[in-house]
Amino acid sequence: MNRTGEENSNSIAQKLLELIKRSGALTALLVSKEGVAISEAGDTSYLNTTAMAALVAGMFSATREVARIVGERQFSILLQQGENRHIHISLIHDSKMMVLIFEDHQRIGLVRHEARRTGEDLNRILSTATGSQACEKIGTPQFKEYALNLIDRIFEAK
Amino acid sequence: MPHINYQARELAFKIVYYGPGLSGKTTNLIHIHSTLDPERRGDIVVLDTEEERTLFFDFFPLALGRIGDYSVRFNMYTVPGQVYYEASRRLILDGADGIVFVADSQPNRLNENIQSFQMLQESLTSYGVDWKEFPLVLQYNKRDLEDLLPVGTLESRLGLNGIPVQEAVATAGTGVIETIRIASRAVIEKFQL
Repeated sequence: MNRTGEENSNSIAQKLLELIKRSGALTALLVSKEGVAISEAGDTSYLNTTAMAALVAGMFSATREVARIVGERQFSILLQQGENRHIHISLIHDSKMMVLIFEDHQRIGLVRHEARRTGEDLNRILSTATGSQACEKIGTPQFKEYALNLIDRIFEAK
Repeated sequence: MPHINYQARELAFKIVYYGPGLSGKTTNLIHIHSTLDPERRGDIVVLDTEEERTLFFDFFPLALGRIGDYSVRFNMYTVPGQVYYEASRRLILDGADGIVFVADSQPNRLNENIQSFQMLQESLTSYGVDWKEFPLVLQYNKRDLEDLLPVGTLESRLGLNGIPVQEAVATAGTGVIETIRIASRAVIEKFQL
């Protein structure tokens, strides 16, 4: 059965939350290749998730080019190691990135293991076609008219 | 097509500033960012080299506001202009909902403008986008210089009849806001799920 985008979104959020609990990581994000955070779990209060998503997508894209240069189709995992915090990024469903931020006292082996498990779950969820019934209201003429009015209001006063 | 985050009830469009090196793409973005009310704009991310050339991209999110249940946002990007950053440009263009092409009005930059636009066409085509139907605004920047490419030059050389055109002096902010207004309106008008 095909699931709507909203149903998918709820399942993804649930999986990320389980991942946070099992791995002990601080924050989990799912980011699209266009640089937008699709879902998040854990503590995001210390993080600019919008900028983070844009930068992670850029980083992963650059890494894909590096992979091609050395004869690989892509690198499926990126690990950024800091002094206190580390970032584990894995490619999901060929077009999304799961970002896990964890602290030094958490075990990297556990984080990697749990990230792989969750990645498999997310791949399954994302493989079911996404419908757009949940956002029918967004594409209506009223939506467009309201958005155009907002644009004029924001930019005309400048 | 814009990105929908059902969990956060967000709709995000992507607008990309494209054009040859040093044509003023980052200057456009910085001016827009500086004129917006603080509650409408996120932090600007500028990734440049010591010579102030954009290395990877510049970025900031612009909050349009709430429409129904959803908050609507424009994510604004620039691409690096230099020819050798073609791989970065292609990646940033992926998923774009609208483009502002910032042309350098100096006559001796005509070939760079044309070459850059042709790269844009090729990238869009490779993503399966019909660029003639795509929300695209042409900005002639640096109109404060004495010797200028006449408006219409690029349109006739590149077959861009009917494309929205805006003259600008990005360093002074002239024409910058009008350009983004035209581009964001075009994105919304073309938008369909």
